[in-house]
Formats: sequence, structure tokens, C-alpha cells
Amino acid sequence: MIEIRLHGRGGQGAVTASRIIAAAAFEDGLYSQAIPMYGTERRGAPLTAYVRIDNVRVRERELVHTPDYSICFDEFISMNQTIANSMKPGGIVLANSKFKPEELPLAGDIKIACVDATGIAIKHLGRPITNTAILGAFCKLCPEVSLKGVEKAIYKYFPGRVGDMNVAAARASYEQVTDLITAKNKEPPKQVEEIVSGGYGALKDVSGWRVFEPVIDEEKCIGCKTCWIYCPEAALEWTANNKPAMISRACKGCGVCANECPVKAIEMVRVQVKK
Amino acid sequence: MSERMTRAQVPLEEGIIFPGSTCQGCGAAMAARLTFKVMGPNVIRHGIPCCPDQSSKSPSTGSVFEGAGPSLTGTSRALKALGRTDIKAVGFFGDGGVYDISFGGLMAAAQRNENALVICKDNEAYMNTGGQHSGGTPKYAETTTDQVGPNSRGNKFHKIRAAFAFAALGVPYIATASVAFPEDLMAKVKYAKDIEGFRVILIQTPCPVGWRFDPAKTIEVARSAVQSGMWPLYEIENGSTFKLNYKPKELKPITEYLKPQARFRHMTETEINEMQTYTNQRWEEVLRADEAKRLTF
Ligand code: SF4
Ligand code: SF4
Repeated sequence: MIEIRLHGRGGQGAVTASRIIAAAAFEDGLYSQAIPMYGTERRGAPLTAYVRIDNVRVRERELVHTPDYSICFDEFISMNQTIANSMKPGGIVLANSKFKPEELPLAGDIKIACVDATGIAIKHLGRPITNTAILGAFCKLCPEVSLKGVEKAIYKYFPGRVGDMNVAAARASYEQVTDLITAKNKEPPKQVEEIVSGGYGALKDVSGWRVFEPVIDEEKCIGCKTCWIYCPEAALEWTANNKPAMISRACKGCGVCANECPVKAIEMVRVQVKK
Repeated sequence: MSERMTRAQVPLEEGIIFPGSTCQGCGAAMAARLTFKVMGPNVIRHGIPCCPDQSSKSPSTGSVFEGAGPSLTGTSRALKALGRTDIKAVGFFGDGGVYDISFGGLMAAAQRNENALVICKDNEAYMNTGGQHSGGTPKYAETTTDQVGPNSRGNKFHKIRAAFAFAALGVPYIATASVAFPEDLMAKVKYAKDIEGFRVILIQTPCPVGWRFDPAKTIEVARSAVQSGMWPLYEIENGSTFKLNYKPKELKPITEYLKPQARFRHMTETEINEMQTYTNQRWEEVLRADEAKRLTF
């Protein structure tokens, strides 16, 4: 039996991806199971989902605790040790990242591969929904799941033209995934920074939720306060010189401010993940 | 009736502790932010199960869905007994609360004219639990319990016009508001806060996840709801005095509102025309009431 853990954010399609993997394995004649981890799901908030695949009937009904594969759909979460923890010895981590696998700060008895799924998704789907853009890469690493099966399963969930676009994204990621490397550090660090997930109430910092962030052109800005009043998070501070300034810990990157600015003084720019 | 507010009069200070835990581009988060900007500190906020919107700096309490009316009643009567009527009992509930499960209790509280302010952030379904149909869901909208298929065209019923149900009980103040018209929204909250008796403000708060549109377009969607007449902005005092706050010369076609939302994607031309006729008729009604300055039943 192989067990897979998926890390992503609400809106990236990790739960759909878990179903596509399970459906693909089923198409290939195997038994499979997809388990979403239900909490209060929020678009942007970190979440996990799980898949089991076997050639006999899967009887387990609990969450996956020691996966063979860990797939991460989010560039920021890819920099967090959480995705490499409690893997089976020699387990494989597939991360959405523009970096080389040796550049990721992940440790343990694991192998790592990377693919720039966000880039692929933006190119093929026009939006940073990275689920299908990482599944192609996964097929290359996991002999139990074929690209053909995944393509079939994608069409089941996204018929027609949307399916074509998603299949193109999956194929691109199959081509572009890096080779597997063995992690240098065998011992994971003792203290791992928690991934802030949703839940209720006020949060400390949601800067990691953003894929795009507002960049304000002060020259163009006419100081009308439109962006400021519409921001759902009060993430724009009204400064002394009558211009808005983003409060990094509070902005979720929704793009409302840029959409409403009457003089188009705000541009949503893709966030660069730092090493 | 509320007094016009300008952007310069909007307080810079926030009444919420941000960032909150909502999805990106959440309309309910906007409604909470704007509401608590003008609510002031002397508030006891009441909640029932709903999406998280924003935590406010005021003390808050929660109850079950059915407890909306009773818990507000308890707080407002206790405040009266303590001689602290300067503190307001305010409910901040979702549409599943106000139009559905809590409807009975709230109606009873309204009938008794309890001294409480109920604010509804209406995202037109039970979005916290995955988007199930509520009394606030408009006709033909696809929800997770009104799926579109060979035998179903989405929700079968028209959205409850809850404002008129409360108006029938003659409560002192009722208003509708939209996150796309923030000054109007805040003026209404400011005005309603200090009235004695039962007050209701219904705020339409688009939900990018449940209505299925790009989160950057939350305000665009809210604005077109008002401009197309699907969500008219008005105030009703004592169940009769009526004022329409936004009166365009010509309504925009409802397709401007429906188009960006994938929950209406399956609608045929006939169905859109039916909704257009329905919207026009309702609009005529509010126009007539506005001209007469009176709501007649
Ligand atoms: S992107 Fe969204 S959260 Fe960030 S500042 Fe703009 S409106 Fe606020
Ligand atoms: S909406 Fe645009 S012009 Fe107005 S204050 Fe914001 S950035 Fe400046």
C-alpha cells in the first residue's frame, strides 16, 4: 500500500487533487481512497488531504500518519519542515517551488523533488490553482499512478475546455519536474515553526496566504481612500502623507484594493518566496 | 432616517482585531470591519454559528442558532435592570441565522420590541459549512444542496424579503445595506445604534467561494446587485415610513450581477428573463413606496 499526504491551501485544489489521484489509480485498476481533512476550510488557509492506493481493498479508515509521499501545493508551505515530517524512511517529498530541491530547508530520511507549479498554473490556467499543475510531476515520481490515468481523471472533474487546460498543465509539470535528490540533513530541526492555519478569531500573521500582493504607485495615487475603505482586513494603513501602505502581516492578497482603485495605482504582483 | 456620511467622516480607527480568519476577499469581513468602525466601545456583541468574519474589540457572547432572539432579549433586559442602557445589545448574525433557523425567535423578539440591534451579514447560504441552501438563497442559485442536474435547476424559491417581514411587525427601524456602499452602511449602523427598540440592518455580503467568483471582485458584485435592483438599499421606520437610498435613473440588467458568479452559470435565457421580470416588479414596489414615503401592506 502507498500512502500520500497533500499539503495546500484552500482554493489551490488540494482536496480535488486527492480525488483525482485516487480516481486515476482506480482507472488503472487499483483500489484507492481519498480523505480530505475537514475543519473550517477557508480559501487561503492551510489544509491537508490524504490518499491511499493498494492492489487489494483498502480497509483503513483513518488519516495517513506516515506517508510514502508528501505533496505540497504551496510555495510558502514548501519552505516549512512540516511537509517532510513523519514520513516513511526514504519517503518522497514533491514540493511546489521555483528553487532546486537542494535549496529547500527540509531534513529527514527523505528524497526531494521540485516543480514550479505556480508558474505552470498561471501559464496554463491563468490562475494560481496548482493542483493539476503538480499532478503530472507526481506521476513521474510514483510508478503506481500513470499520467494517462491522471488525464482521464482530470476530464472527469473538469470536462471540456477547462479539462484541456488542466491536462496541459499536468503534462508540463511531468516534463519540468526536477530529479530526486536525497536530503542532506538527516535530523530534522527540533523546533519547527507552526504553519498558521485558519480557525476562528483574529490571527497573528497571514502574510503567507498571499500569492499576489498589492504594490502601490504613490505617484499615480490620488489619495481617494477607496482601497483603504474596501479592504476586508484593514490591511492598508492610512499614512500621514495621505497615501495607503500595506500592512504585511494582515494582507491576504485578495486583490480587491487593486480592482477598485479608480486610477489603477495598485498592481497585484506575484510574491517572491525567499530562501 | 440616517444622515449622509462622507468618506472624510469615516473614522480611521478600527473596531476589529485584524487580520481575521476569513477567506480572501470576504464580504462578511468587510461588513464587520465597517460596522464596528462606528459602533463604539459600549456594545455587547452576540453571535450564533456562522462564518468567522472579524473579531471586534467589544465583549462578545455566543449561543446556538435558535438562541439569537432569546439571548439578545436576555442581555438587553439585564442591561435595563442594571440601569446601563448606554450599553447596546447587538447581534451580528448570518443569513442562515436571521432568515432561517433563528427566524422564529427573532420574530418573537421583534414583536415584543426588545431593545436590540440585529445586523445580518447575508451571504445567501450556509457558507461556513460548505454552502448549503438557506432562506437567503436567491432563486436558481446553485448551492451544495440545490445542485444543477437533469431534474434540478438550482434553488427553487425566491429569497425571503426579510425586511418586509420585520416591517409587518412595525419595529422602529429596518435598513438594507451593501459593502459596496460603505458610507451608507456606516451611517445606518450609527443611526440604528441609538434608537430604542428592535432594529434590523440587513447587509448583503458577497462570498467569493460560495458564489464562485474571483475574490478581487467582491465589491464589483455587491455594487452590481444594488445597481441592478437585486439588492435595493432602503430604510423603513416604524413599519411604514419608507426611503429608498439609492435610485439610479435606469437599472442595470441583472445579467451584470449574474454573469461573474458561477452559481448562476447554468441559467437559460428564459430563466434569466423570469428573474429580470421578478426584479423589475419588486423594484417598482420599492419605487412606489419611496414616492409615497410610505410602505403599505
Ligand atoms: S490585497 Fe486584499 S487584503 Fe491585501 S491590502 Fe488589498 S484589499 Fe486588503
Ligand atoms: S484607491 Fe488608488 S488612488 Fe485611491 S487611495 Fe487607494 S491607491 Fe490611492
